[in-house]
Amino acid sequence: MASGGLTLRRYAAGRLLQAAPLLLGVVVVNFLLIALAPGDPVATLLGEYPAPPEYVARLRQEFGLDQPIPVRLALYVWNVARGNLGFSFAYRLPVAQLVVERLVNTFLLMATALTLAAALGVGLGVAAARRPGSGLDAASTGVSLAGYSIPDFWLAQLLVLLFAVALGWLPAQGIRSVREEYTGLAAALDVGRHLILPALALSFRYMALIARLTRASMLEAMSQDFILAARARGLPERLVLVQHGLRNAALPVVTVIGYNFAFVLAGSALVETVFGWPGVGRLLYDAILQRDTPVLLGILLMVSATVVVVNLLVDLLYAVLDPRVRY
Amino acid sequence: MTIRLLALVLTVLLTAATGAAAPAQPQSGGAAVVALGGDPETLNLGITTGYAVGAVAASIYSGLVWIDARGDFQPDLATAWTVSPDQLTYTFTLRQNVKWHDGRPFGAADVKYTMDEITGKHHGRFRTAYANFESVSVRSPTQVVIRLRRPYAPLLRLLTVFDSPILARHLYEGQDPTRSPRNNEPVGTGPFKFREWARGDRVVLERNPDYWNPVYLDRLIFRIIPNAALRVTALEVGEVDQVMDFYLPKTDVDRLRRNPAIRIRLGQPIPSMGFLFINTRRAPLDNVKVRQALAMAINRVQIVTQAMGNLARPARGPFGDGFRWAFSPEADYNRLYPLSVERANALLDEAGVLRGAGGERPVRLRLVYDSARAPLVAAAAIIRDNLRAVGITVELQPMDRAVMIERVYTRADYEITLQTFTSGGDPAIGYHRIYASAPPGTPFVNATGYSNAEVDRLLQQAAEVADQTARSRLYAEVGKILARDVPTLVLFDEIGVDAARTSLRGVWTGAEARDRWDAVWIQK
Repeated sequence: MASGGLTLRRYAAGRLLQAAPLLLGVVVVNFLLIALAPGDPVATLLGEYPAPPEYVARLRQEFGLDQPIPVRLALYVWNVARGNLGFSFAYRLPVAQLVVERLVNTFLLMATALTLAAALGVGLGVAAARRPGSGLDAASTGVSLAGYSIPDFWLAQLLVLLFAVALGWLPAQGIRSVREEYTGLAAALDVGRHLILPALALSFRYMALIARLTRASMLEAMSQDFILAARARGLPERLVLVQHGLRNAALPVVTVIGYNFAFVLAGSALVETVFGWPGVGRLLYDAILQRDTPVLLGILLMVSATVVVVNLLVDLLYAVLDPRVRY
Repeated sequence: MTIRLLALVLTVLLTAATGAAAPAQPQSGGAAVVALGGDPETLNLGITTGYAVGAVAASIYSGLVWIDARGDFQPDLATAWTVSPDQLTYTFTLRQNVKWHDGRPFGAADVKYTMDEITGKHHGRFRTAYANFESVSVRSPTQVVIRLRRPYAPLLRLLTVFDSPILARHLYEGQDPTRSPRNNEPVGTGPFKFREWARGDRVVLERNPDYWNPVYLDRLIFRIIPNAALRVTALEVGEVDQVMDFYLPKTDVDRLRRNPAIRIRLGQPIPSMGFLFINTRRAPLDNVKVRQALAMAINRVQIVTQAMGNLARPARGPFGDGFRWAFSPEADYNRLYPLSVERANALLDEAGVLRGAGGERPVRLRLVYDSARAPLVAAAAIIRDNLRAVGITVELQPMDRAVMIERVYTRADYEITLQTFTSGGDPAIGYHRIYASAPPGTPFVNATGYSNAEVDRLLQQAAEVADQTARSRLYAEVGKILARDVPTLVLFDEIGVDAARTSLRGVWTGAEARDRWDAVWIQK
């Protein structure tokens, strides 16, 4: 057991080491793409009134934009290696501070959406697989089709119109109420209320995906000999379904969740915009418009690092779900 | 009996009418929520002209003066001011017993420090006024004197909180004002104190009990709502109380007008215009007849009705009609350039830009514009269709703002472009830079390459002369030349629209919807 744990740790450390050149690649490619793209950060920052040339030159020097691109890139990589993501041109604040406070909100939204998608998707998939061809199965197929077809930002606006405008049940905007000032549990419940609509909008597509996949995997697993054996041993159907069927069907589902993590992150930008959710998506959008290069690079790097870590966690989870998997 | 009944009904009606007409007494308490489209970049209004920064920080800081809804100057930190007969010396008497939000006393030294070290160096608009300054001197703790090298007519306009907010010397001295931690936790003298800034979500201000006027709201909250349509939704469902013109999608105005819970203010005292800039460096646009032909071929009324949703007036001349005193009938587009495909065709023929066998002229104009601005996108399509009718091909080139700035201003790599400019309250502040000669490369300065020594001279004089009648004459003269030469074709004068819930009272006493939140209260 101890040696197994050691092997697992070594595997994890190895994977993280492999991620280093990948992340360096992410930094270099993103840096070059942004540096070579048209649009001058200083001109964007100065606003609509003219500034004297010496003032513009001073800003350029302050931001390091007077240096050639290779020098800027080398400096940036050196700083990132030392844990310094730089200073935002537009906000004049350390990038790490700006990004981290927004990333926390994005992760809250994503975690809720993925949990919701997994819970509803697996439930729907198992229910549909239990009686293929039944009314429930057809309904599950219908929901999945809708989930695939409806763009999340459009669904988000519909949810606002229905639950916030027409029914007035849930807030349309933001992460917390602004007129009331809650503390403690009431504050957490308030955030929860604000989380429902954006999490629903973001999760719908993935719920559909997971439902379809669970159904297919379950159907395959339930036709295996070990299910027949379990039933022959007289195990209750629920145990057969969950312990034998679902556990075997879970591997592809976990893969899909891990694989889609990056897509959920990308999708969250749109949903955040609709709901005014103060996540990293909106910060990214503003940084692109303002040519706030340090913020843009910081977000891309932190998101890439997160995707690497999540993929590693998914791989490690395989070993938990399937005893045959060894690292 | 009937008469007595009638008398009773009349009495009830009259009483009700009198009650409704009686001015409501302001009530203290509550929180007003204002929608913003995005985060302010900073809360130091002394280093930026950013709209969101002004929306929040105008309630935290004060200027020397403020401008009311009629466009008149009112005392803010300065209670009185005098101007010397030669228009070179402005003496300001400051309000006494004013405290910064941290409890320290405010004084004349703060004014001098702010102008010399912060706004004079870092504020885009105030810098243009400061370039005319000889000195700012402290005569006493409550008296400041500004001496100018040459008269500058719009000076007072640039002493509002939006242009030269007064910052605390004791907090900024010895620091780079662009990086001070105070920029994120500002300390001012305004009606509201800073309390909290959750980036991407809200900025919360609270009542300053030491403010010299009564302040009714307990809290003033700015909520970040990036999606334009949902800003309006939030106003309709009561999640926010006001959406200012800058953040209000014009397509929703008609719906809001029909909502009894929403009040609308149409028109803004600070004129803004939409322009078609013509790159006069490029053939055949270097030929004035071709530019005049464009002016006759482009349907300004169609742009106003279809692209601007009637929230604009078709432009009347190089300075619009927003400043009545600067408008001249001799430069009136309606007289000079009525819509006429025939006359536009004739002018193009005269200029030698003749139609080919297929009926098209050998002119291909790239029309560059900011793709994020829906009215400009619609206007571009109209212009393309209008010019097709006179045989000119227009290639639409929508692009994001940063790229647009580079293409139009830095590289001048375009033929025609759509731009909007605000006057800043005076043509000398906002519009002169469009027409005055300038080397290429500076964003938002003369993109057309037009250069006329006479125009430069007249604009310079118009900025320096204080007398309104004399200024009118100068603008009439320069307007005539600009209308003839058409380096830019002004398309429309914008009509601003602010929207607020009717429960929000006392709004819009200032020229700017962002100003004077001390007077605002909530009807319970």
